[in-house]
Amino acid sequence: MKNFVLVPDALVVAGALVLLLVGTARRRTRWWMPVAAEAVTLVALAVELWAGAALSTYFGGALVQDRFALFAKGAVLLAAALAIAVTDWSDEDAPAIGISMVLLAAFGAMVVASAGDFVGLWAGLELAAVAGVVLVSARRTDLGLRLLVVGGVASALVLIGLAFVYASTGSADLATLRRAIVATGPTLPLAIPILLLLGGLAVRAGVPPFQFARVPISLGASPLGAGLVMGLVAVAALVVAMKVAAALSPVPALLSPYLMVLAAVATLGGGAAALATRSPRARLAYLAAGQVGWVAAGLATHYRSGLGASLFLLGAFALAATTGPAVMGGADAGEFALAGMGTVRPARAAGIALVFLSLAGAPPLAGFFGEFAVAASLAQARVFWLLALGALGAVMSVAAAVGTVRTLYLQSPPDESRRAAGARLPALTRLSTVGAVALCMVIAGYGLFGNPILSLADQGAEALGLR
Amino acid sequence: MILAGIASATPTPAGVPGANIFTSSLILSLSIWVPVAVAIAMYAIPNPRGRYDTLMKQIAFFTNVGILFVLFIAYNQFQTFLPTVQYEEKLPWLPSIGASYHLGVDGPGMTMLMLSGIVGVTAVLASWGVRERVRSYFTLLLLTQSAINGAIAAHDMFVLLLFWGAAVVPVALLVLGWGGPRREAAAWRLVGYWGIGTAALLVAIMTAYAASGGSSFDMDVLLKTALSPRVQLAVGAALIIAAATRLPLFPLHGWVKDVYSEAPLGVSVVIAGSASRLGGYLLLRAFVGADPDAARLVSPVIVAIAALTIGYAALVALRSTDLRWSAAHLAMVPGAITVFGIAALSPLSIAGSAFSIFTGGLAAALLVAGAWTLTERAQTRSLQLLSGLAPRMPILTWVLVIGALALLGVPLMASYPAETMILFGSFKTQPVGGFALAAGMVLTAVALAALVHRVLFGQPNHDAPAVSDASLGETWYLGVLAGVLLWVGLFPAGPKLPGTDQTIFDPGLVNVLSAGITDIASPYVPPNPPAAGP
Repeated sequence: MKNFVLVPDALVVAGALVLLLVGTARRRTRWWMPVAAEAVTLVALAVELWAGAALSTYFGGALVQDRFALFAKGAVLLAAALAIAVTDWSDEDAPAIGISMVLLAAFGAMVVASAGDFVGLWAGLELAAVAGVVLVSARRTDLGLRLLVVGGVASALVLIGLAFVYASTGSADLATLRRAIVATGPTLPLAIPILLLLGGLAVRAGVPPFQFARVPISLGASPLGAGLVMGLVAVAALVVAMKVAAALSPVPALLSPYLMVLAAVATLGGGAAALATRSPRARLAYLAAGQVGWVAAGLATHYRSGLGASLFLLGAFALAATTGPAVMGGADAGEFALAGMGTVRPARAAGIALVFLSLAGAPPLAGFFGEFAVAASLAQARVFWLLALGALGAVMSVAAAVGTVRTLYLQSPPDESRRAAGARLPALTRLSTVGAVALCMVIAGYGLFGNPILSLADQGAEALGLR
Repeated sequence: MILAGIASATPTPAGVPGANIFTSSLILSLSIWVPVAVAIAMYAIPNPRGRYDTLMKQIAFFTNVGILFVLFIAYNQFQTFLPTVQYEEKLPWLPSIGASYHLGVDGPGMTMLMLSGIVGVTAVLASWGVRERVRSYFTLLLLTQSAINGAIAAHDMFVLLLFWGAAVVPVALLVLGWGGPRREAAAWRLVGYWGIGTAALLVAIMTAYAASGGSSFDMDVLLKTALSPRVQLAVGAALIIAAATRLPLFPLHGWVKDVYSEAPLGVSVVIAGSASRLGGYLLLRAFVGADPDAARLVSPVIVAIAALTIGYAALVALRSTDLRWSAAHLAMVPGAITVFGIAALSPLSIAGSAFSIFTGGLAAALLVAGAWTLTERAQTRSLQLLSGLAPRMPILTWVLVIGALALLGVPLMASYPAETMILFGSFKTQPVGGFALAAGMVLTAVALAALVHRVLFGQPNHDAPAVSDASLGETWYLGVLAGVLLWVGLFPAGPKLPGTDQTIFDPGLVNVLSAGITDIASPYVPPNPPAAGP
């Protein structure tokens, strides 16, 4: 079974390259390309779930396959599969590039999930981020450039942080770092690079107040591009944060205060901004940022239960944030583009509604269960002030999500002239309908049948050495 | 006799012919998940241009009737001599954090479920006039019903929070989609207040969870762990905020005026009848029985809030110029009475509170619905125009008068024994509060009398728009609410075969209630006086 562990990674990267080559050679997207990408992703997911339980290390410990990697890779592959399925490919400027970049971003996140040292973490994160830049540039070069610059700053911060941590502790290997950090203790030379590292990751994840790049980009990018930046790239950044948090858990004073402040600002800021904005894309981006705050809150507890809960929530976040813009399709023209979609595209409308409500943490959807698990870990860690602020942020987020659901179901569809002005309806295809229904089932069933998922997340936290 | 029976808090076997014949471990799940399944199925049925609107209404109606039937069987088969939770279902849900799918009801829970069932059927009938987006409306109504039933049946705080919070979204959408001209303000206020209440409930649950060792959310563990008085106080404060936003209580009542006056009729009935009653039920289940030290400490504060709420509601109703606003504020009174009885902390007042959750829900729903229908028929809400309508609106006059009488708790109405129990039970433990409650009730009576006199029996206003009485077919569902109030008022212990103690088909609301009160009120039973020496 050990021989099959890297098959999903290989399948995804090979699929991405083949589809990219075929797409650029033929200059025209074939109908079978999304279906093929979907098939590749689903096969990779199946192999991951079948063979991924085997614990193993590769390349001298640079890649580690454990329960954490299994969970994170499974979540990323499922999110990518659903995003490919629900995307309105007729609205994508460069479908072949889009398909390939989604697969490459998923591959980057998978590398991060199984990275055993700083090199793997950084390389995987950069790969996912670069895929985002390419896909955003396909529609808006200026936005791609902006993302590249902001991403460069984030990358520099992450790299400097990692380099200084390496310089302070003498190890780039996460397992060794964990042992070394006990001897080093919480020193200022270590605290400053960790702040830089966390800042870089926050920019990558688009957490308030670092959303200055992500929200405008998510507004201008193609639906899939926005989903990639909001979802998979943020997931990769969060997985890096989880691995670093686990490695630094023997000295919680190094990371927890930063994470708590970040979580408080993100949950409250995300909820308030989501409530204030009218644009569905921007609202989705802010809701996602708020949920990232909950993930950070779980990490701040530096307990196994907290990291397990964060990982559980990360699964829900990956699904909703990656597929959200894709399932909305070309609704970036404004709120009116979503009006009445419950009547004309019922499956897609249900998917959008559940994505928004899940990101807001409304019961009984995936996000609620994840946030509840994080809240339980915060209570165990006695961080009640953060719990209360998070709950207030969730209230604002739910109010914002209700506004979008109202638009979907209670407003009349725009007339043809407005449709022509930019509010075009997503194309109705069999793949997108099946994808939307599957998305609804996954988001609704994630928590209702959450026991094995949370158990796996808990094992994932244990695999990172947390007790 | 009845009061003495409850006060003694020693339930005895009640002989109901056929009791325990029908038992099912899925009764509670059925009442929660059948509406969800029907809602999903209904949403999936194609309904081009509203062709099947009537079918949708019928599906919603028969679903609610079926649930009421199942709940009535559960009520009928309820073992009134067992002070334990019944119809239990327990499955592990998220065992690693201690959350389980644990359902079960005691006496107050069973009566609350009956209230929800009756209100559910009434709400569907009250919504028969809905013409726009019928499928979406009834889908949301069924989801609301499911969430309310789930919150009542929950025996795990995680499940309680889930369903407590799940009610917010469909109710808000119902107000947003089918409400009156100021529906936006109404819906956002509702989301804000109920959302804050949900956040407070989360904080309360998590505080108790952390203090009890962080192993389980089960009520059997969480509510029975001896917490330090400080933790009890923190939990109690958060629970009071959660309850106060739902019932509502002063000063967290900001949503009442807009929601009751702007929400569609069926939604107003659900909110006034059952959704808002969850606040009182929460305090009864999770606060009084679990945190006796904190309850004793904060009871004067709660009593003061309850008395203030009643006085405030009555004064605002007196000064209001809008009939719906008046009714909305008066509908706050039963909730405040319930909370008052809970805070009085005597077995009799607590039993009265459990009783008043049921009766208050029916009375509030009747009053709000009566006022709503009357203003629709009279084509105005202005109290300056509404006057002397009794001769022209005899049916609605009856409805409004019965609603007013039920709210006041006059004899023959179900609310009479409930309010009497609360008053009798509270004068010993909260004499000043009891006096304040009595004064508040007098003020409420004045407000109601002034309202009824002006609107129904005053001089007809010839400048007012033309009015027409509602037909019997349009208002008979209000008769259901009034009928239940009268039935329980006449037979609180169930109808008995002449010359025997054998109840016929209704085991009696007070008998069912008493099955859970013993446990909840046990910390407040006064110690027996020492036996006199020879």
